[in-house]
Amino acid sequence: MLPAMLPRQSNLDPAAAYPKITDLRAALDAGDWPACRELLDASEQAERTYLITAVSDEKGLEDFLRGVLRGDPGDGTAGALLGRHLTEAAWDIRTRVRAEHVSREQFVAFRAGLAEAERVLVDAAARSPHDPAVWTARLVTARGLRLGLPEIRRRYGRLAEIDPHHLPGQQQVLQSLCTKWYGDAALTYEFAKEAAAAAPAGAPNPVLLAEAYLEHSDEVTDLDRVRAELREAAMRSVWHPDFRRTHGWVRTMSTFAMAFSLLNDQEAASSLFRALGKLGSRWPWEYLGDPAATIEKFRARAGGDT
Amino acid sequence: MIKRLEVDGVPAVLAPTSGPTHAGLVFRVGTADEPLARRGVTRLVEHLVTDGLGTDGQQLGATGAEHTYFHMQGSPAEVAEFLSGVCAAVRNPPMARLATVRRLVQGTPPDRDPLPMWRHGARGFGVPSYPEWGLAGLTEDDVREWIARYFTRENAALWVAGEEIPEGLALDLPSGERRAAPTVTTELPVTPAYFSRTGGTVAWDTVVRREARAAVFATVLERRMMSDLRRRDGISYQPHTEYVPRADGTARIIAVADALPEKQEAALGGLIDVLAAMRAGQIDPDEVSTVVKLTCEGLRDSELRGARLPGQAFNLLSGREVQTLDEALAEVRAVTVEDVTEVAAAAYDAGLLMTPPGSSADWAGYTAAPEMSEAALPGRVHRGRKDRGLRLISGDDGISVTGYGQIASVRWDECALLLAWPDGGRRMIGRDAVTARIEPTLYRGADRVVREIDARIPARLRIDMPPRDRVAIPQPEAPHGESRLAAWRARWGPYFALLFYGPFVLLGVGALVWLLVESVTERRFQGQAVLGAVGLTAMFGWLSLDSVVELRRRWAVRRLLRRR
Repeated sequence: MLPAMLPRQSNLDPAAAYPKITDLRAALDAGDWPACRELLDASEQAERTYLITAVSDEKGLEDFLRGVLRGDPGDGTAGALLGRHLTEAAWDIRTRVRAEHVSREQFVAFRAGLAEAERVLVDAAARSPHDPAVWTARLVTARGLRLGLPEIRRRYGRLAEIDPHHLPGQQQVLQSLCTKWYGDAALTYEFAKEAAAAAPAGAPNPVLLAEAYLEHSDEVTDLDRVRAELREAAMRSVWHPDFRRTHGWVRTMSTFAMAFSLLNDQEAASSLFRALGKLGSRWPWEYLGDPAATIEKFRARAGGDT
Repeated sequence: MIKRLEVDGVPAVLAPTSGPTHAGLVFRVGTADEPLARRGVTRLVEHLVTDGLGTDGQQLGATGAEHTYFHMQGSPAEVAEFLSGVCAAVRNPPMARLATVRRLVQGTPPDRDPLPMWRHGARGFGVPSYPEWGLAGLTEDDVREWIARYFTRENAALWVAGEEIPEGLALDLPSGERRAAPTVTTELPVTPAYFSRTGGTVAWDTVVRREARAAVFATVLERRMMSDLRRRDGISYQPHTEYVPRADGTARIIAVADALPEKQEAALGGLIDVLAAMRAGQIDPDEVSTVVKLTCEGLRDSELRGARLPGQAFNLLSGREVQTLDEALAEVRAVTVEDVTEVAAAAYDAGLLMTPPGSSADWAGYTAAPEMSEAALPGRVHRGRKDRGLRLISGDDGISVTGYGQIASVRWDECALLLAWPDGGRRMIGRDAVTARIEPTLYRGADRVVREIDARIPARLRIDMPPRDRVAIPQPEAPHGESRLAAWRARWGPYFALLFYGPFVLLGVGALVWLLVESVTERRFQGQAVLGAVGLTAMFGWLSLDSVVELRRRWAVRRLLRRR
């Protein structure tokens, strides 16, 4: 085989663009909680939540974090990470396929796992009521435990009191508002538009509009309007001079790129592919199959071949 | 200053008040004393002895769980006349009015608190959850017996808010004995617990020690619910709590979060969070000092209005001494944040949560309160008509009704109530609040069971109900077999598919191998036969592919679950 025939693939590891993840993983592997706390406490709020989510799939966290919590039950960071970790483990059992392909035993174990996570989080929220990472994690458990949209909105209300533009939490709410969970396209768009409009210029939050579109792309009929809306959102976000290449920027750009690709806006998609360079994100491309291959396919189609 | 006196052998408390004289006579009897089959008898007596007294529509009495009292505010002469009249009626009840009063009482049923039966079962403090089934059948003798037992001089106490004991007041009560408050039983094996029920509210109750700090906790909780659920989240309009002291030295605290149906799940989540936060010690010291201050102000105000007197009279009946205002104030003032946190933790652990229908609270660490019996009792089995999944079992120990994963067992010696309909329908309620519905139409030969029940359950536990509508009598139905068949097919289908198609695949492969070997050894290639074997293998392989995929998925899941 000729090496030249191998497709050039994007690097999908979030740590590639954002080495803090590697540092945090290293500290976790070493069992050095003070170092983890130092790293996380120094981050801004959304970044902290992002980091906690990014490392929650780390193996063997449960015993370690339960030990930390025994020493200091009021450690909201440990609570949030443990809650998130248990949630991940529960979701691994359920698997990400549609509900009709999930067996009864899987659902029972999934629910039990989520309940375990939620119990940790109830306590964490009780002791650290102003921790956005805890409330974000509780938005995920609320969805899986089917606690209902009113409860999800209540939890988001608590989060928004602390940080009105907490993108990781807003993304969880958006998922719950989708047709596939408890809402519909109208509710999803309404939430995305509101959150996007409220965010300061250059913030990543307008990506919610791209996510809303990706979740309901088959229901959209007025493509021109959506395209214009998304371009405007990108102008206020990824194309804005104040857009910062900080935590999650790759996923934000990558999401916009996928939305523009599906909307056949090659020009916009190509500009984003160029900005991304060799970097990419697994989500949301995995909706279309193998993310690396799909990204390459759409990158080629957009002509962003640099 | 509260004075301790005795009036006609009845212990009394007297204190001056700013307004007109207000006095009350309390008896140590309430719904917690009523056997389920007599539920309502205390309220019937309350209304019977005040019948014709006072002006129409005036609230003259009240029946609680442990106490029943009669009171009147007015001139000393009016007060004396009313209370003397109550005593006269107790001594000589106007039985001619029984039927009329009974209808009045039946027309104003009390609010049924849904929580107590889950905590206390179908007796004692659990009785207020049930309807007053007993009212219709109560006889003159039943009423006289109840009065003789509880409405006596030894079982009464008097309070008077006024300058002196009203002139002409004569408490001419029959003699009897002091009746201790019933013991508080519990049917909850594990707490904190939850149950779900239809209704417009999310509610929680708990049992703690009866102390000033527990009362302060209840108020702090209410203010926290008000601030979180109403002002912050806008999910509950009038959240509130109540602190109910009991004679045995415990107190019940109830918290209610009303909510519109579309907000109930949020009200549940909000209440769970408030309780968890208080247990974790997230209590604002300023809140506690504010509540302490407000409680003290409330006590001083009550003292001026004579409103502390009823409580003191209740105390006399449970053998407690009168608590002076200063003592009460000192107790409240001593309450600290740590005290409230301690109560919050104890309250949380003993909690019982009522969730909206279809919701649970297991995710927050609450255990489901038992809804049914653990096991069926041994005995003779009557299978369901048409539906053989249903069983009615009658044995030496009691009755069991089972079917579709549900078991309701009531032992003969633990039956709290038997409801009997003329059509043969029976409902047995056990002391643990488990209800066995015996519908003879649904089972083979169940008439015999009905006869056994009627013979075993004494008349005092039986209430004969009016005839039921035909539609209310259940008729046997065939089970929903289709879904069962589908479930069976889904479970075993892949195995059968493999069992059936698998051999053909093997056969095809075998034939293919044999043909190939033969083509090498015999140097003879049979193209058509090979094609046939390939086709056979491919066809049956394709047919069994789905099953293989499905079974592999199941194995993967099982491995994943085992690893957990």
